Amino acid sequence: MKNIFLAFIIALTTNVINAQYSNMTMPEALYGTTFNLNIHESTKQLVTGNQTITGSINNETFWGPTLFINKGDLVHMNVTNNLNESTTVHWHGMHLPAVMDGGPHQVIPAGTLWQPYWTVKQQAATLWYHPHLHETTHAQMTKGIGGFIIVKDPQEAALALPRTYGVDDIVLALTSRSFNANNTFVSPPSSNRVYGDYMLSNGTLNAQYTLPKQFVRLRILNAEIERGYNLGFSDNRTFYVIGNDGGLLNSPVGVTRLPIHVGERYEILVNLGNDNVGSNIDLKAYNSGQSQSFPGGEPATGGVFGSLLNNTTFNVLHINVGATTANPITSLPTSLITNTYWTAADATVNRTTINITNGQPGPASIPFNFDNTTFSLTMNPKVVNLNDIEKWTIANTNPAVFGHSFHLHDIEFKIVSRNNGTAAAYESGWKDTFFISKGETVSFVGKFDDFADSDVTHPYMYHCHFGGHEDGGMMGQFIVSGALGTNQNETNTSFSLYPNPSSNLLYVNLKDNNTEIYYVTISTITGRVVMMLPQPEWQNGIDISSLESGVYTFQMMDKQTKSLTTRKFIKK
Amino acid sequence: MKKHFFLFFIIAFVFALSGFTSIEKDNLISNFKLKSATTNKWISLSDYKDAKGFIIIFTCNKCPMAKFYSQRMNQMNEKYKKMGVPLLAINSMDTLAYAEESFRKMQIKVKNDQLNFPYLQDKKQVVGKNFKASVTPQAFVIWKQNNKFVVKYEGAIDDNAGDNEKVKNHFLTNAVDQLLKGNEVTVKNSEPFGCKIFYRGIKDKMK
Repeated sequence: MKNIFLAFIIALTTNVINAQYSNMTMPEALYGTTFNLNIHESTKQLVTGNQTITGSINNETFWGPTLFINKGDLVHMNVTNNLNESTTVHWHGMHLPAVMDGGPHQVIPAGTLWQPYWTVKQQAATLWYHPHLHETTHAQMTKGIGGFIIVKDPQEAALALPRTYGVDDIVLALTSRSFNANNTFVSPPSSNRVYGDYMLSNGTLNAQYTLPKQFVRLRILNAEIERGYNLGFSDNRTFYVIGNDGGLLNSPVGVTRLPIHVGERYEILVNLGNDNVGSNIDLKAYNSGQSQSFPGGEPATGGVFGSLLNNTTFNVLHINVGATTANPITSLPTSLITNTYWTAADATVNRTTINITNGQPGPASIPFNFDNTTFSLTMNPKVVNLNDIEKWTIANTNPAVFGHSFHLHDIEFKIVSRNNGTAAAYESGWKDTFFISKGETVSFVGKFDDFADSDVTHPYMYHCHFGGHEDGGMMGQFIVSGALGTNQNETNTSFSLYPNPSSNLLYVNLKDNNTEIYYVTISTITGRVVMMLPQPEWQNGIDISSLESGVYTFQMMDKQTKSLTTRKFIKK
Repeated sequence: MKKHFFLFFIIAFVFALSGFTSIEKDNLISNFKLKSATTNKWISLSDYKDAKGFIIIFTCNKCPMAKFYSQRMNQMNEKYKKMGVPLLAINSMDTLAYAEESFRKMQIKVKNDQLNFPYLQDKKQVVGKNFKASVTPQAFVIWKQNNKFVVKYEGAIDDNAGDNEKVKNHFLTNAVDQLLKGNEVTVKNSEPFGCKIFYRGIKDKMK
């Protein structure tokens, strides 16, 4: 009798525990070469009571679709900003021209269509996209705006790896949020708190997901404002890191714990083949007992640097083991791809150490910055010569206050030393973001190839990826400079537009064929920017079909003189 | 003696200070005239000779939080207009910045949501600034006192946008009910939630 009662209690408890999980959202997958991304405000039922106002893209209510793109393809992005405020979209980890990069300089005003495009030159990798508007990144990231980009290539496709999206190959964006009394997110400008109280996995609280009994692939992104995650499984099983930010490693690296910091991505393989169907296992953040330099290691539960999750171990994903799929991956590949990494000896330029400065606590404190210089959009950029292989060294020693997540735009690099030692095996691949703890010095080597553009108004960025730190000015910029073009004589930047009026395609007729169009901005007659086209493919005609009928101004910036020439046209 | 005198001074000072903070300066709203997308006519507060007060709701076309409330606003207007408290909705969004907030699109919203109240366009954003409206939706109750309109409530409409059935605090209608009974409003404000109203010419996040 007692046993029955006990069994009843256990059954009841199990039910309660099961009931607390919600099925994790898997973002919609988009394929092809043209992607329409509509950024807008949205609402999502996250906690009991009022829905939370969020930011999202397309059909998601938090976060955005996963974009699948192929190496070698020319991809076109139609990004519409339907927020009430300006934003930018940075293609994090993508090797592309600076003017397409979506950093703080490529501001998309509210209501504007921005049309960057590029040829995918890099190897298969897990990248992401997110807002990067200066002083507003923390707030716009908090809304939930962002998404994954998965680059595919033949080398990756030839390997026996899980790649059925949402089934044995999932994306997992880690972040946390706190809620105000009316269920809005705690966010700047009203609060500068950096750690959320509740874990969100792909925008789902208390997330669970069913994964098949076989090897599964998790593409994990730390999409936080500041918190790091020391990931591991609840039974301490070994799992395998197969990819870093910039692509697959040479071979899998077995770990039981994996720290992942803001902006970083890791692809991991986990063997669920020995688990019973119907059993479960938890992916957890073992953040208890971390040092106070580990973001989220602080013991406080309240205040700007406090959170209910701080210095605790908490669930990231409750995994239910489901039935094995057809054609499962049942073994771990012994090797992956052959990367040729740069070594310190390859660098022909050893850049002066970049020092992390300021940020000491106190009311009179200057926020964190680099080399005692707070970022401004017009600050002098560092100049890198096209095709140079450079070694950069970042020092977090003077004064050593806290850890940071350093991110470099434009290229993927190789970490060649950490505190004069070597980097961990799990981060031995191509990186664009890394954690630099208090007191540490990190060096990396990368080649700045392909996209020379000396335009200082569209530089690439390097910065701390903590929302509050970058908004506070812990950011610098650089340009990649190519051989100077032969100085042309004065260019005649005059042009005409035809047909005018037009309904679908608008063609440009340049007076001087040597004129190169660098930027086109189309505005309404009242001055509202409606289309922004960096280095447009104008020869094929500019598609204006999305515009409402009316009179518009067409502003052209020519590449050499950066002068602006304006014409009017009528959209039928 | 000296000590007592000093103490007295302190007490008097504290009393004066607390007295000062407890005197609430009435937030007055002056008459305004805006064009209604519902009737295509200009409407002002002074047109409503018999109104005891108004429910003013700043809203817009695009905000998902604002969209939840069309039906509830219709119901409120239907109930309280008869009692001398009509509902006026105001769109103070910057029409130069947002094509979605044009008068024509407001008219479409009136038609689609069958709005039974005036949906006014605050094209110059003057009324929004006077109310210090910050998000959509944001509700105000203004009440006629000595031929002036005094703000009696400001904040959220209620505490659950997505599900009318699960509302626990009907902030706005509670305030109106209390005023109609001649009582003071017990909850004078709440934290509104929704999409931010950006005012043209104010350097904010509209870079």
